[in-house]
Amino acid sequence: MPSKDAPEGTSANRGELIGSASPTRLLIIRILGENGLQKWVFYLPVAFMVVFFAVPLALTYVWSVFERTRFWMEPGFTLFSYINFFTSARLENFLFSMYHSAIAVVVAFVVGFPIAVFVRRRITEVAQHRVILLFILPFMVSEIIRIFALRPILGRNGLINTVLLKAGVIDEPITAMLFTPTGVIIGEVLAFLPFIVFAGFLAMEAVPKYIFEICEDLGAGFWRTFIDVILPLAAPGIFAGSVFIFVNGLGVALLPNILGGPGAVNAGLIATQAIAALDFPLAMAVSAIMMTTLLILLYIGHKLFDITRILSPIS
Amino acid sequence: MQEEYGSIFFHRLKWAYLLLVVLALMSPVFYVMYISFNEYGFGAGRYDFTLDWYKTIFADKLLLGALGWTLVLASVTTVIVVPLGLLAAKFYKQTQYKVATVSLLLAPLFVPSDILGSALLVYFKNLNRTMESLSDWLGNEWFYGWFDLGFMTAIIGLIIYTLPYVFVVILITMARYRDQQTEAARACGATAWRAFWDVEFPQIRPGVLASCAFAVILTFNEYTRTSLLKGGFNTFTTVLISQLLNEGMSEQSYAMSSLMSFVAIAVIGFIIIYTFVRSERLEREARAKAQPLMAE
Repeated sequence: MPSKDAPEGTSANRGELIGSASPTRLLIIRILGENGLQKWVFYLPVAFMVVFFAVPLALTYVWSVFERTRFWMEPGFTLFSYINFFTSARLENFLFSMYHSAIAVVVAFVVGFPIAVFVRRRITEVAQHRVILLFILPFMVSEIIRIFALRPILGRNGLINTVLLKAGVIDEPITAMLFTPTGVIIGEVLAFLPFIVFAGFLAMEAVPKYIFEICEDLGAGFWRTFIDVILPLAAPGIFAGSVFIFVNGLGVALLPNILGGPGAVNAGLIATQAIAALDFPLAMAVSAIMMTTLLILLYIGHKLFDITRILSPIS
Repeated sequence: MQEEYGSIFFHRLKWAYLLLVVLALMSPVFYVMYISFNEYGFGAGRYDFTLDWYKTIFADKLLLGALGWTLVLASVTTVIVVPLGLLAAKFYKQTQYKVATVSLLLAPLFVPSDILGSALLVYFKNLNRTMESLSDWLGNEWFYGWFDLGFMTAIIGLIIYTLPYVFVVILITMARYRDQQTEAARACGATAWRAFWDVEFPQIRPGVLASCAFAVILTFNEYTRTSLLKGGFNTFTTVLISQLLNEGMSEQSYAMSSLMSFVAIAVIGFIIIYTFVRSERLEREARAKAQPLMAE
């Protein structure tokens, strides 16, 4: 607990306790007490995150310029990994996966964000959270399974094709849905859609209900209200959700691995393949490139619409 | 926009859309469950209900071992990460550097699993080398193999993965708690720990429970970080994925997938029902308390 809310000496009990204590006990209280070790305990999570998250990710930049040896790497400075990345088919693949990821973000936004608006606007405050809980359910079923389960759905003999064939809508099974970029995009949208609903829901906290009424009173139409009022107010949350989906589309290796065709890769797959090939500097270079992409995106977002505003509901 | 107040039809339509999206998200899972009970597996023309595929899971020694490891990983991660999340939420409430703290704690959400897994893998290998050379320099073997890939490294990876979720869930529950209650308890002579345990904790218990459920399920479901950092042993997901990537979908893998989904749905269902029942009860109690006053 923070010690500031503990007025010293207000408590008779504590006074007695300390008054009757032996010197050793006093010393222990001083070391373990609220201004001693106890205070530092609260730094533990942050320290953990620095040591095992921030430092490793920062060091990827250093390791990416190390020299590759047969099974490991040794200190040095070479841009070989970057040259390897930027002058091979990897760059093209990376850019393609960016493109597909961007499409997935747009689709997820169009499908998911209206739900957040609807829930915030039309459903009573108490029921809102319960409706949002509905989206926890698919989110909690492993994304691996949800991605894998798309194979029997989208495949040549899959559910969709079977149903459409039986209904007589199509004469031949659609093969464009699986092992193609379309498959990867569908998978990404289905895997991460709950996030855009959650992020949109949080974002819509910044749009009080009366704003809709004002817009209506002023005679603003639906699109006008949406583009000029809702979007700017909810922008930070929408942006956070979009970046999340975009980056995961680039980084989750299973998406192209399972749903993409031959040769479909993204940054995550390049990195894990490099690790499997014991080319650690290349893997680190890919990580560094991903981190740079993420940081640039977050910086742009922050410049455009102060992302810290998202945090207002929890602070 | 005005029409919507008049038209119940549009309101219903939007509800239908919302439920349709949830259904679309869940349908692959339901379909896998449906297939897993079919004796002839996927794509067969006929359907006979059977539990045989589940029996093959529980007859498989390798799978049972993997399941055991998964459960151990999930419970150890939860036992560590939930207190860490509580500490983090407490720290966040009192610190001046709120933005920096929350960015650091939520950042793992934005780093894809494969990237973080690779970075941690190389980090641990480097740590090991550094500490070994430190040991050699000191002339002993104290620091050998501290960060060999294995149970501990997997746990660290999973903590990094689950902490943001746990932190957010606890923080949201804590937002409803008023700090004056702690101050009152402290003024009455309670120690910081007692004020937390007897006053604050009972009020944030649903959040803590929910975050436990989150941690267990996320660990149970996690594949990438575990497989990169685990070292020698297998978990349920790593066995499942290697089966799927090497041999494609077999009947058994359908059963494994739906088993995992059943577990996740059961845990989340329990949490949702618990939350509902609790909030109903609290409302009823609040009404019961308010009634005599209103009668006066």
